[in-house]
Amino acid sequence: MEIKIMKNILDRNQNKANEVRNLLTLKKVLMVNIISSPGAGKTTLLERTCEALGAKFRIGVIEGDITTDRDAQRLKKYNIPIVVINTEGGCHLDSHSISKVLDNFDLDNLDVLFVENVGNLICPSQFDLGETFKLAVVSTTEGDDKPGKYPMLFREAVAVLLNKIDLIPYTNFIFDSFRSDLNKINSQIPLFEVSCTRGDGLPEWYQWIGEMINISR
Amino acid sequence: MHELRIAEDLSAIVLDTALRNNLSKVTKVNISFGQLIQIVPAIFEFAFRETVRNSVAGSAELDIEIVPVKMKCMNCGSDFQVNENLFACNICSSTDLGIIQGKELFIKSIEGE
Repeated sequence: MEIKIMKNILDRNQNKANEVRNLLTLKKVLMVNIISSPGAGKTTLLERTCEALGAKFRIGVIEGDITTDRDAQRLKKYNIPIVVINTEGGCHLDSHSISKVLDNFDLDNLDVLFVENVGNLICPSQFDLGETFKLAVVSTTEGDDKPGKYPMLFREAVAVLLNKIDLIPYTNFIFDSFRSDLNKINSQIPLFEVSCTRGDGLPEWYQWIGEMINISR
Repeated sequence: MHELRIAEDLSAIVLDTALRNNLSKVTKVNISFGQLIQIVPAIFEFAFRETVRNSVAGSAELDIEIVPVKMKCMNCGSDFQVNENLFACNICSSTDLGIIQGKELFIKSIEGE
């Protein structure tokens, strides 16, 4: 006999993500799910963002890390609430792990919660965490072919941050090719061209993320 | 690697449905995955086998339908299938598009006795 089911396999994750999203909306906290490959510069972006906006906004961070707390250690000096989720080998965060750690934050005294997902371009884009939006971070040293190879992420993200633009002369990264592939996947998406170590392009990012935080307050 | 986690959630649904319908054996599991999800069927099948080992679904056949990406053009209104990861309307070339299908992660039914 055949039993019809007709439901999303990740329903359990989706239901919990909806709960998280409702809670954060109620508390007026913007949650940004940052997705990139390992080494694209997520933690350095957070360091620069804390330095630039820490006095203006109340920032919290959830660090998704496979086994260590090294990323969290780098952010300690900014005196912000940080919670580490060790996925113990898992390649992505899910809404249940986010929901569990939200109790560790004083959500009434927070404007923005950055979630640094596990470095991976495929898996994290399938799991809704209850975020306000996803941010794709990609770096020039990875090559210019990422949008075409990982269309789901670049389709789902609300903005793309291209890091390490200062290194373009030392790579075979062709900006026009990257931009044209990105246009074919998601032509409306804002693109920030930055160097998190040298500072190029970061003021535009600070201004944009500041506006996003203000909208959700 | 997200295959393992999705397989775990799938097997939980399969085993729960089998229990509620008093099935002693699940013979087939029918699922559909959108192309955009980038599931590797062979890895998924391996992961599913591991999660249902020694259960009533231990020998179930897995039928995976891959759903191609379809989009609707917001400019001219036409529907079309996307064959490469280059999303542009094949009538008017607009890139202002909505996804109609291709993101499925769906369990359709199970069969058993």
